[in-house]
Amino acid sequence: MRFRDGVFLSLLVGSFSVANGQTSGTDQTLPTVTIRGSTPERFSAGQKTQRIDSVTLEQFRFQNLTDVLTYTTPIAFKIYGTGQLATASFRGTSSNHTAVLWNGININQPTLGQTDFSTLPVAGFDQLAVQYGSSASCVGSDAVGGSILLMSNPKWKQPGFLISAGQKVASFRNYTTQVGAKFVSPAGKNSQIAGKTFFYTTDAHNDYPYRERGNYFVEQSITKQKGFIQDLYIRNRKNQQLSVNIWLTDNDLTVTPFDTTVRERTRSQSYRFLTTYETNKLTLRLGWIRDIIDYARGNFTNPSHSETDRLISRIEREFTIPVKTGRISLRVGGEWSHYRTRVDGYGDQPIQENRADLFALARLELSRWLFSANLRQAFVTRYDPPITPSVGAEYLIIKTAQSSLTAKGSIARSYRVPTLNERYWKVLGNPDIRPENGFNLEAGIAEQWRPNERFSLSTETTVFRNRIDDWSYWNPDYGYRVENLQLVVSRGLEWNGSLNYMTPRWQSGLTLGYALNRSSQERVYNVYAQDIIGKQLVYVPKHTGRFSAYVAHGKNRLTIQNQVNSRQYITFDNIQFLRGYLLTNVLLETEVKLGPVETRIQGQINNLFDTVYLNVKRNAMPGRHFSIQLICNLNTTKQ
Amino acid sequence: MKKTKTASSVQLKLALGLLVILNGSCTNNSDDPAAVPYGSGVLVVNSGNFTDNNGTITYLPPSGATASYDIFNQVNQRSLTGGVQGYTEADGKGLILVDNTTARQDKVEIVDANTFKSLATLKSPEIENPRSAVRVSANKVYVSCWDVSGDYSNGTFYKDPGYIAVVDLTTNTVTKKIPAVKGVETLILAGSEVFAGSTGGVTQLSVIDITTDQLKSGIEIGANPNPVAVDANGKLWVYSAGELVRVNTQNKVVENRLKIGTDKSKSPSKFRLSADKQYFYFVGSYYDANYKEFGDLYRFSVNDTSVPTTTPFIKRLFSGLDIDTKTGIIYGGVTPSYKQAGYVLRYQSSGTLIDSVKAEIAPSAFYFK
Repeated sequence: MRFRDGVFLSLLVGSFSVANGQTSGTDQTLPTVTIRGSTPERFSAGQKTQRIDSVTLEQFRFQNLTDVLTYTTPIAFKIYGTGQLATASFRGTSSNHTAVLWNGININQPTLGQTDFSTLPVAGFDQLAVQYGSSASCVGSDAVGGSILLMSNPKWKQPGFLISAGQKVASFRNYTTQVGAKFVSPAGKNSQIAGKTFFYTTDAHNDYPYRERGNYFVEQSITKQKGFIQDLYIRNRKNQQLSVNIWLTDNDLTVTPFDTTVRERTRSQSYRFLTTYETNKLTLRLGWIRDIIDYARGNFTNPSHSETDRLISRIEREFTIPVKTGRISLRVGGEWSHYRTRVDGYGDQPIQENRADLFALARLELSRWLFSANLRQAFVTRYDPPITPSVGAEYLIIKTAQSSLTAKGSIARSYRVPTLNERYWKVLGNPDIRPENGFNLEAGIAEQWRPNERFSLSTETTVFRNRIDDWSYWNPDYGYRVENLQLVVSRGLEWNGSLNYMTPRWQSGLTLGYALNRSSQERVYNVYAQDIIGKQLVYVPKHTGRFSAYVAHGKNRLTIQNQVNSRQYITFDNIQFLRGYLLTNVLLETEVKLGPVETRIQGQINNLFDTVYLNVKRNAMPGRHFSIQLICNLNTTKQ
Repeated sequence: MKKTKTASSVQLKLALGLLVILNGSCTNNSDDPAAVPYGSGVLVVNSGNFTDNNGTITYLPPSGATASYDIFNQVNQRSLTGGVQGYTEADGKGLILVDNTTARQDKVEIVDANTFKSLATLKSPEIENPRSAVRVSANKVYVSCWDVSGDYSNGTFYKDPGYIAVVDLTTNTVTKKIPAVKGVETLILAGSEVFAGSTGGVTQLSVIDITTDQLKSGIEIGANPNPVAVDANGKLWVYSAGELVRVNTQNKVVENRLKIGTDKSKSPSKFRLSADKQYFYFVGSYYDANYKEFGDLYRFSVNDTSVPTTTPFIKRLFSGLDIDTKTGIIYGGVTPSYKQAGYVLRYQSSGTLIDSVKAEIAPSAFYFK
C-alpha cells in the first residue's frame, strides 16, 4: 500500500505521466477510471509541477497548508505569528502572485487577492500539487509566481467504507480533532458512487510557558478553527460524472486575547460550493463562494465586515485529434463569474462586477515530444486585462527501462486582475490602476534513474526568469496609495533530488531541495528609488533549502524534516533584515491494529533545536514543542 | 549576526566563536576611546515603520565621519523591536522609548549612555505606549505613557487617565505612576515643575511638581496643548490648534497667542528653538490630492507679532528637526518612505546646506550629546 502511495518518488512526476494516467480496467463493467488530471497541469508543458505525496500529507494532516509547503517547497511565507496571517511568495513574487486553486477554482480572497494559508488546513483536501511559474493562460489571474492546486479525488478503484477519527494533543494546550467517513461503492453495472464527509476542529491556545525567547517577545494568540467537507461523486457507464464538493472553513484568531482593550479578532469564514459535470469531452462547473472577514479590536460586538460572493460558471470542451505518432488535444472553454462585495472600506453600496474568460489550450503529444500552446483573454467590468499566451515543450532525451531524461522549456505571459481593495478602497485604492504584465521564461531538465527494484534516483533542475512590469504596490511614499510603479525581475534556480532505497523489510529515502530566488526592483521612479534599485525584494529569502529523510520498517517510520532560509530583508533598501534560520522536525510513527481498527500513532517534535526565529512583526516564534497524534481508521476497503 | 539574534545550537556555537574572534581583534587594536564609543556626537532617532517594529538609533560621530547604524543592536546583539518614540539621557544613562505594535510589548530600554550597553528594560505594565521622557532631577526621569490604547474608530483610543512613570535610575525601576490626562504627551521641565501636553482631546496643560511627584492644577490653553520650549525670556511656549501660546511659568498666566501661518491647509509641527533661544523653526506641511506630503521649514522670532508661512526658510520637508545648541547647526530628517533609509541634512544657521548623511527608517528626532 505504501508503495502505491509513491512515497517520495511521486515528487517529481511531471505532466507527462498525468496525461498518460490511464489505468487498466479489471473485471468491471464500468469504464476504466480516467484520471483526467487538472487542466493547468496537463496544458503546461515545459513547466515544473511538484506533487506532494500522500505520506507527507498524512504526516501534516493536523497542520495548515503553510506548514506542509514550507517543508516541501521553496515557497517563502511571510508569517505574522503563530496561527496569524501567512502569505506566500512564490519564486520571488508578492503575496498576490500565487493562485490557489481548489478543484480548479481560484479561491484567493478577491478583496485581498491572496490566501491566508494559516486558514487552510491540510485535512481540507485529498491531493496537493504545486505548479511553478506563470500559468495565467491556463489558470487565469494571480498565477504569476506559481499555483497551488488543492484537489478532492475519490479512489474509485478501492470500493469500501472508511471511518476515520483523529486527535492531536500538542504543547501549549493545542488540540485538533478530526472525524470523517469516506465511501466508494462497488463498481456496479451502471453506476458507482463515492463520497466523503469530514469535520475538523482546532483549539490552539498557544499557552506558552514563556513571554520572551532570546530577548524577543512571543506574542499571545488563540486560534479556533472549524471546517466541514462534503464530497459526493456519481459516475455511470458512459463515464459521465457528477460531483458536488463543499468546503466550509471558519478561522477565528484573537491576538493578545487577555487584554479586553487591545485584543484583536480576525474571523475568516469561507463557504465553497462546487458542482461539476464531466464527461470525457466536456466539463461544466458551477460554483458559489462566499468569503467573510470580520475584524474587531477591543469590543468584538460590532466588527468591521467584509463579504464577497462569487458565482462561477465554466464550460470546457475537449477535442482529441490523433496524429501519426501521437495526438493533439484541444481544450476550449469559457468562464463567467459574478462578483458582489460589501466592504466597509469601499463605501455603503455593494460593488458588483462581472468577469469572463475565454481560453483555448492545445497539447500535442508525440513519442518523444510534448508541446502545449495556450491562449486566454479575460474580461472584467471597468477593467481591461491583457491577452495571455503561453507555449511550452518537453523532449524526452533518453528513455530506457531504467532511466529517463527530459528537457523542458516554456514561455508565458501572465497578468493579475487587481484586487478589489486595490480598485475600490475609498481612500487609498486606485480605480485607474493598470494590469500588471508578467513575462516568464523557464527551462529545466528532469532525470529519473531506477537501475534495479531497490534503488531509485530522480532530480530536476530548473532556471527561470520572470519579469513583471507595472508591478502595483501600496506606495509608502504616497501614504500607501496603490500605484503601478515598479518593474520587478525575479530570476533563480531550483534544484531538487530524491533518492530511495528499499529492501523487502526496510525502506528509506532522502529528498533535497535548493532554490535561489533573486528578485529585485529595477525602475527608477523617484530620486530616492536609486537606493532600492537592484535590491532583493522584502521578505524573499535569496536561498532556501529543504531536506527530509525517512527510514521505515514495516508500519514504523522515522522522518526528519528540515528547512533552511537565508535572511529576509524587511526594508526596500536591504538595510534591515530578519536573520536566516534552520528548523528541524522529527516524526516517529507506528501503527497498531486493534480488531478491525487500525490506529496510526504519530509523535512529533517541532523546532527540535529550539531555534529562535522571528516573524514579520519581529516577535519570536515558539521554541521546541511536541505533539502526539492518533488516527483511528475503521476500514472495509479492499486493498 | 547584525540584526537579530536567532540561532540553532550549531549557529550559536559559530556565532560565539566569531564573537570571541571579534572581541579578540577589538582588544588588540583599540585603547581607551573604544570604551566610550558613543560619548559625544549626535544620536538620530529613527522611528521605523510602525508595523515592522524596526525603529533604530543611528550614531553620528562629532568628527563627521561615517555614521554607525542601529547601535543598540550592534552592542547588544538584539534589535529594539518597536518604533522608537524618543530618547533622552540622564546621569550617564540613556533611555530609549520603544513602542511595539502589540500591547504589553512596549518598553523603555535603559542603556549606558557612553557604550549603549543595555542596563535594564522597563516593560509592561510599568511602561505602556511611552511618548516622551524628561530628566527632572538627579537619577530621576519622567516618562509620559498613554497606557494601553484601544480602538480609534470607537473613540476609545486613549485610556483615561494616562500616566507619567517616575523612573529611578539608581535602581532602574519605575517607582510611581502619576495619573495624568488622557493622551499625555510632551514633557518640558521649567524650574521645579514639569509641563505635560496631551493629544487625547483635553484643553488644559498639566503641571507636575517634581519634588512631590504630584499633579497640580492645570493651565487652560486650548485643544490638545503641547509644550514646545522655554525661550530666552524664560517663557514657556505651548502649541495648540494652530497657535503658539506664551505662558508665564511663574504665575501660569497666558500672555500671548500667536497664530501660526495664514494658510489653513498647512499644518505646523516640530517647533524647535534656535541656539540663542530667540527664534523658532517649524515645519509647515500639507498633503496633495495623491496623499503625498509636501512642506517647508519656516522661522520666526519669539518677539514677532505675526508668523506668515509665505516665505520658507528652507524649501524642504522634514520628518525630524532639531538645532544643535552648541553649534547652531540645523538637523533635518528626511523620510523618502517608511520602507527605506532616510537622510539627515545638516544646515548652517543661515540655512546653507552643509551635508547629507544616510540614517535609517524615518529619522524623526535628534539627541545632541
